[in-house]
Amino acid sequence: MPTLDRREAEDLLYAEARLLDELRYDEWLNLLTADILYWIPCNGRGTDPAHEISIAYDDSPRLHDRVGRLATGIAHAQSPPSQTRRLISNVQLEEAADGAVQVVSAFILYELRRGRERVYAGQYQHRLRFEDGRWKIAVKKTVLVNNDEVIDNLTFIV
Amino acid sequence: MPEQLNLDELVQEHRVHRKIYTEPEIFALEMERIFERGWVFLGHESEVAQVGDYKTVRFGSQPAIMTRDENGAIHVVMNRCMHRGATICQQERGNANYFRCWYHGWTYSSRGELIGLPYPGGYGSHFDRGKFALIKAAKVATYRGLIFASLTPEVEELPDYLGAAKYYLDLFMDLSPEGAVEARAGTHKYGYDGNWKFQMENGVDGYHANFVHQSFFEVQGKKLGRKVAQLFTEGSPMESKDLGHGHSILDMAPKRQAARPVSNLLRGATSQAATDTYMASLEQRFGKERTSEILAASNVNLAIFPNLLIIGIQFRNVIPVGVGRTDVFLTPTTLRGVPEEINVARLRAHESFYGPAGGGAPDDVEMFNRCQDGLRVKGAEWLELSRGLEREYTSADGIIAAHLTDEVPQRAFYRGWRTAMGAAAAKPKLAVAAAIVR
Repeated sequence: MPTLDRREAEDLLYAEARLLDELRYDEWLNLLTADILYWIPCNGRGTDPAHEISIAYDDSPRLHDRVGRLATGIAHAQSPPSQTRRLISNVQLEEAADGAVQVVSAFILYELRRGRERVYAGQYQHRLRFEDGRWKIAVKKTVLVNNDEVIDNLTFIV
Repeated sequence: MPEQLNLDELVQEHRVHRKIYTEPEIFALEMERIFERGWVFLGHESEVAQVGDYKTVRFGSQPAIMTRDENGAIHVVMNRCMHRGATICQQERGNANYFRCWYHGWTYSSRGELIGLPYPGGYGSHFDRGKFALIKAAKVATYRGLIFASLTPEVEELPDYLGAAKYYLDLFMDLSPEGAVEARAGTHKYGYDGNWKFQMENGVDGYHANFVHQSFFEVQGKKLGRKVAQLFTEGSPMESKDLGHGHSILDMAPKRQAARPVSNLLRGATSQAATDTYMASLEQRFGKERTSEILAASNVNLAIFPNLLIIGIQFRNVIPVGVGRTDVFLTPTTLRGVPEEINVARLRAHESFYGPAGGGAPDDVEMFNRCQDGLRVKGAEWLELSRGLEREYTSADGIIAAHLTDEVPQRAFYRGWRTAMGAAAAKPKLAVAAAIVR
């Protein structure tokens, strides 16, 4: 099992951010493990998804549905699509079980849609696992600062 | 009220004027006549389950607090210190023995009595604390755990107000073998730049689904290898119904096979064992026939005037913020007395479609934004609501009904609206309050 240093983790997060900001969702899906969890907690940090509603709690099939729906061209909340750029910083690595690495980072995401600018901020919690000769994303948990507030439209991939 | 805003002319039986969505004067009048003079939905008993629990709520845009006192009674007090006006409760939810305004320390009980007045010597002997209790809702009542309140006492009793809608509320609650749901799994909160009535109209709109949600159905259909959402086509056996008082429903029960809804409800996400346990407990409590009835109707779109929608597993509270801004809170429910995985499946099914990142609801919201923008156009003054007007019928129990895709629910909403707003009836069909005989 190879080790992962912070710079390599940052490279992966930056690559992911760029794919998402450029709406290259199919390429983004290639960064994920087959058992990906795409999780955006609601009303707080997200401690107990079995008993709490989340903004998103996608396993792999559901995440593929999400991306597939955006690709139909008639997902109206993304027609026209959000234009985004996100900055990722404060990257810290934590050990996780079974050789996985937990990467915690802070982000600011700028969104422009229909002439309206919005800014989201929060923490990404990526769990990375070494698979098929490279590090892949097994869990992407996004804790938005404003996840207990009114959010009009979060249909792009955060 | 300026002449050009005559409510009788603006809201007709088959069409409504764009000004009811765009004029601040009409919005102000709605807040006064609908949200300050009638029953308003505020939440569910399970949200203030314990003594001392509270939840902040809104009457239209006015801040209020729902509390449970030491005797277990629910009160609704306005979130406004009687001294100099500051809000006294800052958290959305919590548990407290009292509410203290931190501006000058005035302190109130959960019933709203002024129980603490710092440095009282400064007030003269004529000062009467009793006159400084928080403003309270004149009436608070519950039905099957749903909490409604009215700021004025001149309202009919809640069961009479809910009328024919009670039958459907019972079905929703009876999905639990204990006859009780809980609303403690969090709340999806979204909003839009549009009038509040768009959401109330849309929540019971059987005409829009195949267009607004085509992307969702397409993806599901591809996966299942068949066309989905046939329910919302011209050939659908389902009906839309006017339940009186502005309430309405898309009634999915007619002719639906009783066997299917379980998988519909849970989207096939639970084990056979859990489903069997659940079914057995329903049948034990309600019997086979009633259980079939409950399940057949379990996928509801029910509107309770003015601000509650019950859709899927959720209570949807529509909160008017301004004439062109609305917040919407979706509180999913879990069922008491069922295997845990049933409730987990309910939550996951809800997430797939609803909330700010859901596969469906954000596309509705997009339409509300588009409508509010489009209504800036002058010259096109009307929104057409006549679909099905010529084929609707009144059943023996006094319910106006027509095809699922017809605009019966929207016309029902505006009948309720006209009554509440004090405008004359558009047609003699105004009130339909007959209770359904079980």
